[in-house]
Amino acid sequence: MNFWLLSPELSLVGIALTVILLDLFIQQKKVLAAISVFGLIIPIAFTIALWGENQASFSGMLVVDNFSLFFKFLILGITSLVILSSMDYARKFARFQGEYYALILLSAGGLMLMGSTGELISIYIALELASISLYALVSFLKDPKSSEAGLKYMILGAISSAVLLLGMAFVFGITGTTHLDQIADKVGALVSGGQLWDSPALLFGIVLLIAGFGFKIASVPFQMWVPDVYEGAPTPITAFLSVASKAAGIAVILRVFYTAFGIAEISADWAMIFAVLGAISMTIGNVVAIAQSNIKRMLGYSSIAHAGFLMVGLAAIGTLGQSGVLFFLAGYALANLGAFIAIIAISNKIGSDEIADYSGMARRSPVISFALAFSLISLIGIPPAVGFMAKFFIFNAAIQQDLLWLVLIAALNSVISAYYYLRVVKVMYVNEPTSEEPIPSSIPLRISLAIASIGVLVLGVYPWLVLRLAENAVAMFP
Amino acid sequence: MLADYGYIALLLIAAITVPALILLLAKVVAYKSKRPDPDNVKSSTYECGMQTIGSSWVQFNFRYYFYALLFVIFDIETVFLYPWAVYFRQLKFFGFIEMLIFILILVVGLVYAWRKGVMEWK
Repeated sequence: MNFWLLSPELSLVGIALTVILLDLFIQQKKVLAAISVFGLIIPIAFTIALWGENQASFSGMLVVDNFSLFFKFLILGITSLVILSSMDYARKFARFQGEYYALILLSAGGLMLMGSTGELISIYIALELASISLYALVSFLKDPKSSEAGLKYMILGAISSAVLLLGMAFVFGITGTTHLDQIADKVGALVSGGQLWDSPALLFGIVLLIAGFGFKIASVPFQMWVPDVYEGAPTPITAFLSVASKAAGIAVILRVFYTAFGIAEISADWAMIFAVLGAISMTIGNVVAIAQSNIKRMLGYSSIAHAGFLMVGLAAIGTLGQSGVLFFLAGYALANLGAFIAIIAISNKIGSDEIADYSGMARRSPVISFALAFSLISLIGIPPAVGFMAKFFIFNAAIQQDLLWLVLIAALNSVISAYYYLRVVKVMYVNEPTSEEPIPSSIPLRISLAIASIGVLVLGVYPWLVLRLAENAVAMFP
Repeated sequence: MLADYGYIALLLIAAITVPALILLLAKVVAYKSKRPDPDNVKSSTYECGMQTIGSSWVQFNFRYYFYALLFVIFDIETVFLYPWAVYFRQLKFFGFIEMLIFILILVVGLVYAWRKGVMEWK
């Protein structure tokens, strides 16, 4: 028992409880947002202080290493940007503003724990902690669309949790343990005994695990919820779902599959599953996104496509693929947050998420439009934005693993995606504005937009800043 | 390992056959009255001998739900307090502080419910 290792999560939950309590006695709700954002400095500081640590505690349930700390830092960063950009939006909720911030913090705590457990049951509990808060947050607007989104997300999320739990039960049934390193020993013994596929239950369990985690990262064929939930949810929560939830899902996949099933006899099999699912994900995501007229829905399909790109990195077994996935997540988080923050500012003014209503936005609000355009360019993968370097590293890793066919599909998909991203840019810059009114934005929103946009540019020019951290983070995998 | 699942299969078979057998037995053994039931008394809901009013599919006041939730808070508290009390001496001061923190978290829930007006029946 070492509470020092748990300090980022403990302090985060402490801040969430403080926000809930202060909400009862404070009328000025903006204070709560400020406490949430400034409070996040404490877990971030603990995370930085823990960097370099490599320990397991609480009988292996908590694993603190550079890998988990990388994801903790990523999720805390995403959470602070989301809360900063929520301040304008939260005025739409007449009641329950304190709960809104507290639930975001609690969900972030669950997402942080997901990446830092070495045991199946605690992975499941962390996942539920993150998901149950998100179910409530998705339906926070309480209008018909938001409620529908929340109900859909909750029902499909419950089904995917059940599938995941069944997969864990099968893995436990074959190996007799829920600890990932002991599962790896047991699987290694099965391989050396030549009786690995005597019972197909282990393979079935692995497939069910991929299905359960695939729901979290929004990969085909578990992507049905994405467009509706992304469209109906409050925009800051859509942003949170699309980056933080995906990042934690990828963290769990990397840890479970490389630690427990990392042995070459099995990894070739699951890598092929990820390769095929990735190819289908990006093709479906990109092709269907072309037909969307709502920008949140479009970014929902783009999120499915990016799950596909991430799975290219998962299919490329080895250090290059692992660090590439981590870098891709950081770059994708910055670019996607930038796009969503710009959308929050614009939809606050014009009250619509239709792409057609963005016409002439560049003349009404040049800075926000430029930030949105730059984020979209990063999502396509055009230099100097970070999206280019992210795709470059992942494609490079895949080519080293003789996955040329997958890289060709991914490159083709990047070209397809340029069409629908650039269409938004065209509408903003070429079409005539419907009015001359500028788009107002608060200081916190501008700060968060600036951080995201500058991050996209800086990481695009100096990718080594994060790539070194990512390489350090994945060094612990055998 | 897999053989252990055999016991679960056995349990499953027993769990299905035993209730089915009992139901079947009741059908065979039970005496069925041929006399009519003009007031529907015999087929009405039995509620402690009181006269039943209306159907059981009525809507309850949703405040009952809050009380149920609050009950869960104290219920969990009790579940954890018992074993803690038994091992109080061995756990020493660390256990005492740990339980205080646990109760504090539950108290936050209670204060929250109180301030949100759950206790008032308006």
